[in-house]
Amino acid sequence: MLYNKNTNKCSRAVISGLPCAARAIFRRSYAITVEDFVLWKIMIDENKLKILTESAKYDVSCSSSGSKRANKAGGIGNGSVGGICHSFTPDGRCISLLKILMSNECVYDCEYCPNRCSVDVPRARLTPDEICELVINFYKRNYIEGLFLSSAVFESPNRTMELLCETMEKLRNVYNFNGYIHLKGIPHADGGIVMKAAKTVDRMSYNVELPSEQSLKLLAPQKTKQSLLLPMKSLSQAIEYDKQNKIRRGKVLPAGQTTQMIIGASPEPDGQILKLTEALYRNMDLRRVYYSSYVPVVQSNKLPAVGAGLLREHRLYQADWLIRFYGFNVNEICDENENLSPDYDPKCAWALRNMHLFPVEINTAPLETLLRVPGIGAKSAYRITEARRFAKLDFDNLAKMRIVLKRARHFITCKGKFYGSDSISQVRSSLLIAGAKDESEQLSMFSEPSTALSALTGEI
Amino acid sequence: MKVFITDGTAEAFFTAVFDAYCERDCIISSDRQIQLALDSQTVCVDKDMQKCQRVLSAVENCDRYAADDLVLALRSCNPKKEQIAFDYIKKLLQIKRPIRKRLSLTEVIALNNLLYKVTGEAHRLKGLLRFMENADGILYAPYSPDNNITDILMRHFAERLKCERFVIHDVRRKIAGMYDGKSWIMGYADQAEICLSANEIAFVNLWKKYYKAVNIEERPHEKQMKGSMPVRYWKFLPEKQQ
Repeated sequence: MLYNKNTNKCSRAVISGLPCAARAIFRRSYAITVEDFVLWKIMIDENKLKILTESAKYDVSCSSSGSKRANKAGGIGNGSVGGICHSFTPDGRCISLLKILMSNECVYDCEYCPNRCSVDVPRARLTPDEICELVINFYKRNYIEGLFLSSAVFESPNRTMELLCETMEKLRNVYNFNGYIHLKGIPHADGGIVMKAAKTVDRMSYNVELPSEQSLKLLAPQKTKQSLLLPMKSLSQAIEYDKQNKIRRGKVLPAGQTTQMIIGASPEPDGQILKLTEALYRNMDLRRVYYSSYVPVVQSNKLPAVGAGLLREHRLYQADWLIRFYGFNVNEICDENENLSPDYDPKCAWALRNMHLFPVEINTAPLETLLRVPGIGAKSAYRITEARRFAKLDFDNLAKMRIVLKRARHFITCKGKFYGSDSISQVRSSLLIAGAKDESEQLSMFSEPSTALSALTGEI
Repeated sequence: MKVFITDGTAEAFFTAVFDAYCERDCIISSDRQIQLALDSQTVCVDKDMQKCQRVLSAVENCDRYAADDLVLALRSCNPKKEQIAFDYIKKLLQIKRPIRKRLSLTEVIALNNLLYKVTGEAHRLKGLLRFMENADGILYAPYSPDNNITDILMRHFAERLKCERFVIHDVRRKIAGMYDGKSWIMGYADQAEICLSANEIAFVNLWKKYYKAVNIEERPHEKQMKGSMPVRYWKFLPEKQQ
């Protein structure tokens, strides 16, 4: 076994150059308790870890923000309210939490899932102790910020949820872990067990999986809309109860709930997806809705053969941010049966449809209006509103304050002066070029009007 | 023109500010390789707690949070950091009110840029620091940051790993923070000799395996990875070693 390597070698660390006081600190605490060695023997098998990680990696959520859990006496870890990223993988995603499944032995047969019961893949299961050991040891070395635990449904939903819950309680109470934990909810599991688990973790999530009930019925026949939305609702009520009664200690889910859906595996347009998103934010008080663009890992005649592409996912996230932080309504961003424009970001597209509202004067416009200017985000808007209390701002001031003016200059005036292009078609083409990444094309009779225009004006 | 050379500590800087405040045209720097003008005259400043206190109280009279910001900015690796902080103090004493919100002033922009770099790196390294366990269960983390942020990290990890003993070692500046399970101290540390614990290699291997497995190969985006995790930090990340 792996842990047996060099067991007998135990010499002490020599840190030369330290002041004597420091050396004394380390000499004082040299005793190794036998207990340590007994505990570490529960070492997880590398292959198991590989199987269960690869099964969990398509879950998008990996944020560790929102919880400021304190370190309990004698325990390890605490929550960092802003979240911390510990590493980044070559696909550009951050590793914040140890994201694994407890087991990938599933009784369900969801069409899009690589672990569904009808496929032949290697299966594995971890015991609660194995998971706890791994988490504590990774956490100690600062590899991770906490645990993201999910599971395929083995035996029955209740049995799965019970084991997940047991793991959580063991990690918190026996191993004294106070770091961040994100737990996936198992649909159809008993409400009592779910609530018990919710009291120990920081965040829980039920994946709505697909943006409409029909698609869910077609692709994930064992999951129903009710089995996903009802527990979400009851958890959000529990959170609301704590908020109303100002409960400080032992809050249920201090980092709230999230959900995730697959984009492009079913035919719903962006407008419908965003409508659902807005409803989830309003009614379930979710912290985040994650979108995962469909990657064809599973062969099936019910699924499209090509992936949805990253641009669509990107645009949906942009629209999601507009709903949460910029005071936009879904109806303003996108009609129900439409898709978001791939050429312009949603805010630009909205501004171009509403040119009669612009330009706005930087020195007088209220915060809500500034937030609607393309290119000006929450930080820039804050900087402008703070700075203009003391001095009137001109264009150079804005540039020095690192406010991105590439897009914004067409929509603002500074001390009454306008620095953008005059005609809307010019604005349109320059915005398109500002966003596009070097996608030059040969002009033809069927080119987009904007491309044709850029050829005429010579502006790149 | 006078050039005040400090030893890089905050106290020496504030002393230099006291001496330089009445000069018409002067520079404060801790950079030994600074390019001097022909008519310049260098003055080496030693710390003087009395002068330092007087400057600090003058600054605090204008803005009680400014001193903390200035000390934080002085941890930067920017060779002009002393001059930027000095300009900020001059502006502050001229206006005699907090200027932190006057975001269009060049002095404030320059200081904020320093602060952004320092706190940004500190936040980033809260995630990217890697501990290894030695045979006695002491955690040891070598790293080489751009800015002098070891004690910021010490505060963070002392709160987080309350019952562990650990050392954070800034290899470039040869300083280390040490925590014994109760309190922490900073000190000079040149080289460290570490005998790894029995499990260390196994956990590093598990971590490497995990790192490889969690990546989605169908969606490569190296640029994003390198943007968030610059290559200069990779030296100390086990998952980036072959």
